Amino acid sequence: MLTNHNRIAHRKKIMIVFFGCVAVMLILLGRLLYLMVWRADHYAELATNLHERERSIKAARGRILDCNGTVLADNKTVCTISVIHNQIEEPEEVVRILCEELDLSEDYVKKRVEKYSSMERIKSNVDKEIGDRIREYDLAGVKVDEDYKRYYPYGELGSKVLGFTGGDNQGIIGLEVIYEEYLKGEAGTILTVTDAKGIEVEEAGERRIEPVAGNDLYISMDRNIQAYATQLATQAMAAKQADSVSISVMNPQNGEILAMVNVPEFDLNNPYELPEGTGEGISREEQQNLLNGIWRNGCINDTYEPGSTFKIITAAAGLEEGVVTTESTFSCPGFIVVDDRKIRCHKTAGHGAQNFVQATENSCNPVFVTVGLRLGVDNYYKYFEQFGLKRKTGIDLPGEAGTIMHRKEDMGNVQLATVSFGQSFQITPIQLLTTASSIINGGMRITPHFGVKAVGENGQVTKTFQYPVTEGIVSEKTSETMRGILEKVVSEGSGKNGAVEGFCIGGKTATSQTLPRGSGRYIASFVGFAPADDPQVIAIAIVNNPKGTYYGSQVAAPIVRQLFENILPYLGIMRYNQ
Amino acid sequence: MAVQKSRKHRRKEQTEYFFDYSLLFIVLFLLGFGLIMIYSASSYEALQEFGDEAHYLKRQLVANILGLATMMVVANIPYHFWERFATLGYVVSMVLIFMVLTPMGIESHGARRWIGIPGTSFNLQPAEVAKLCMILFLASMVCKMGKSVGTMKGFLFMLAIPMPVVIAIKVVTENLSSALIILGIALFMVFVASPDYKKFILMGLAGAAAVALLIFVLVNAESVEGFRSERILAWLDPESASQDKGFQTLQALYAIGSGGVLGKGLGQSMQKLEFLPEAQNDMIFSIICEELGLFGAIAIILMFTMLLWRMMIIANNAPDLFGAMLVVGVMGHIAIQVILNIAVVTNTVPNTGISLPFISYGGSSVIFLLIEIGLVLNVARRIELKK
Repeated sequence: MLTNHNRIAHRKKIMIVFFGCVAVMLILLGRLLYLMVWRADHYAELATNLHERERSIKAARGRILDCNGTVLADNKTVCTISVIHNQIEEPEEVVRILCEELDLSEDYVKKRVEKYSSMERIKSNVDKEIGDRIREYDLAGVKVDEDYKRYYPYGELGSKVLGFTGGDNQGIIGLEVIYEEYLKGEAGTILTVTDAKGIEVEEAGERRIEPVAGNDLYISMDRNIQAYATQLATQAMAAKQADSVSISVMNPQNGEILAMVNVPEFDLNNPYELPEGTGEGISREEQQNLLNGIWRNGCINDTYEPGSTFKIITAAAGLEEGVVTTESTFSCPGFIVVDDRKIRCHKTAGHGAQNFVQATENSCNPVFVTVGLRLGVDNYYKYFEQFGLKRKTGIDLPGEAGTIMHRKEDMGNVQLATVSFGQSFQITPIQLLTTASSIINGGMRITPHFGVKAVGENGQVTKTFQYPVTEGIVSEKTSETMRGILEKVVSEGSGKNGAVEGFCIGGKTATSQTLPRGSGRYIASFVGFAPADDPQVIAIAIVNNPKGTYYGSQVAAPIVRQLFENILPYLGIMRYNQ
Repeated sequence: MAVQKSRKHRRKEQTEYFFDYSLLFIVLFLLGFGLIMIYSASSYEALQEFGDEAHYLKRQLVANILGLATMMVVANIPYHFWERFATLGYVVSMVLIFMVLTPMGIESHGARRWIGIPGTSFNLQPAEVAKLCMILFLASMVCKMGKSVGTMKGFLFMLAIPMPVVIAIKVVTENLSSALIILGIALFMVFVASPDYKKFILMGLAGAAAVALLIFVLVNAESVEGFRSERILAWLDPESASQDKGFQTLQALYAIGSGGVLGKGLGQSMQKLEFLPEAQNDMIFSIICEELGLFGAIAIILMFTMLLWRMMIIANNAPDLFGAMLVVGVMGHIAIQVILNIAVVTNTVPNTGISLPFISYGGSSVIFLLIEIGLVLNVARRIELKK
């Protein structure tokens, strides 16, 4: 049947087929070589990503400490409760226990337990004791992870300055926001090997990438001064039935803020709690607005008409430009006519003849209108800008409000006159304090701030914060003259109530009517500094809408006096009057 | 007379006939290795699904034993005995294919491709029967046609024979890969049987051009619909189609790639933890790559090459054309499946379900492959060592 010829032909074909197969297999081998050698790392990495489930470990947030090393913001251990859908064995039991222990609605827990996901968070910031209790039930599929929650040992102290953190330990307001990058640290990760359904493979173990703790933040605030100022402000608010009272204390030489109080403060450990009687039956949006109002730092976020305290600026500009000296004499008939307007002095009978120092002591409006008019719009505007009033102060707190000022081209004599004694424009209290500091400290425009340094885990300083200083805002001579004039205001003039026995204090009062005029609402304020000839501390007290007496000299100056009586010895400022 | 006597005498010495132990040992090695890999690849899923790590291993072991017993029986029956059943086999395989549609048919993995064997938990895949019967039928046809195989008419006739079965498997059981394998076996046998080359070269070129055109059209068409075209797009870029069609392919590539040169070690595969569908079945080669690395893969490819080489030797020395054609058919069957399986798992060709002979999990496949090996062994036994 099989001829030789055919047999040879078949053999040849069978050989061709065999070697054809071998050739194809060699090609496939080449393909394998490519996949398993050249592409090995690529696929191995993709496969590892697929096999590992990540759980993040929160980093401990850095603490906030005051200038004496007192801890103002700390961490405490809390637990995060999560469920892993695939590992739950008794869903009803899990739902029941979690509802009971965590005080959550059944619907809420059930939805999360039934959700098909690799890991679902039920609740974070659970107290450690509750977390430990849940762990003791040893429920399959329930994970209790420990992490940190922000804790503020002093509750309300400096609430609007320090700020607080949210559910993920991120800063929400205040210093917690601004210094987020130093405080937050780096989260770590636990990588667990799982099968396709998300079940952990036991023998594979887990990899940990350790978290890096955040840096501690040292701030210039002094807890003792802050606490005392808070006490004074609270008393004043109660005594005068005021809407709010704020006190800021700063070192005028370098801008370090020692205290910043805005009463009413709020509890940092419970920032979302609305005051009793409010918050019921209002929408979420309204609630949030209410909270935003509670969290607002009036010294920075709100502007006001500074009133007579602004005469410090007009006086400094006039002296610097040479349009007025301490010996210049004026006569006040109780009003001054500017263009077609008659601007009244607060003393309607008039102050009569007085020199410039006396006029400042008296806080005489017509004299300062005169100085303003002598300067003219161009010069006044020039100094306004030179003093840094058009710019923000650059304080290390979020949401600083800008100055609301007439545009230069819109400014006529009437506007100039009102600006000269601190009306018809608005600035923030911190802006006034900063500008006053710059005028009395020899002409250095300093940047008000809290942050001093960030310190790492081992105590090494990772960052010392630097702040810009603009020199030559006014001359040293003008600065010295201003210190003298303002000392006289306290020792002999309208600021008498700010005087402290045995100390040399400089200052200026203000009583400004809020808009709309005639509403009967006033803001009483006082700026004081000590010692007058070499200022080490400057303070501003602002009482918003006091009942009864509303003059700055009567309401605000005594607050600063009491403050200075206590903090000057505390700060070691022992310079007595001659 | 004297010559005849001495021949008879020699026959009694039992050394002039050949038993191919090399072939047998290669097959036994592949079966043993396959059992180890099935256990490794399936134990995790088996424990989850059936509560028994060795679920798949046990079933495969039963199939292997059954297959080896059948193989030994077939190896001892002269292969010409089967020639008379060639036509019957063809008819039976057609009937079995259509039996899938009866209540005896079993649906699994979204396709109806199995027939339940009453009284057991085992199933029969008619496509496997059809492959064996086709080899037998075509071998007998080649012998019957004699020289006319070389003519154009003969060539077309030979190609027309398997078509009804191919189409039935494709249409009735929706099993494209088995249909392609049967067509491939037929081509393989016709190529060897026909003394001509020109037709095959032309056919090869035409086929290559058609495939290239198809791919070109699919890639450039804006909206291609349907199962098959999605598969082809997933083949071209599995990483971007990883959610659907490219999923299995991509998982196989993860396994192969993460094995590297030396592999993760036996039993250390991650992808078998239910990431890779059909890990113990069509995709077992990628688990071999992941656990045993490039060296393991090369070893397996070498074993299959040796298997084909042994079959080539047997076919070349077969006592007659029928025996040679039987061996060529089996050789073609195994070669096509090995090549396509490795090509699929390495994403060299679009994904289609083809098992790796002797190693992949699957009872019907291994039993019928072992019957084929039995045929080859019997052909080998008929080789006269000395003339």
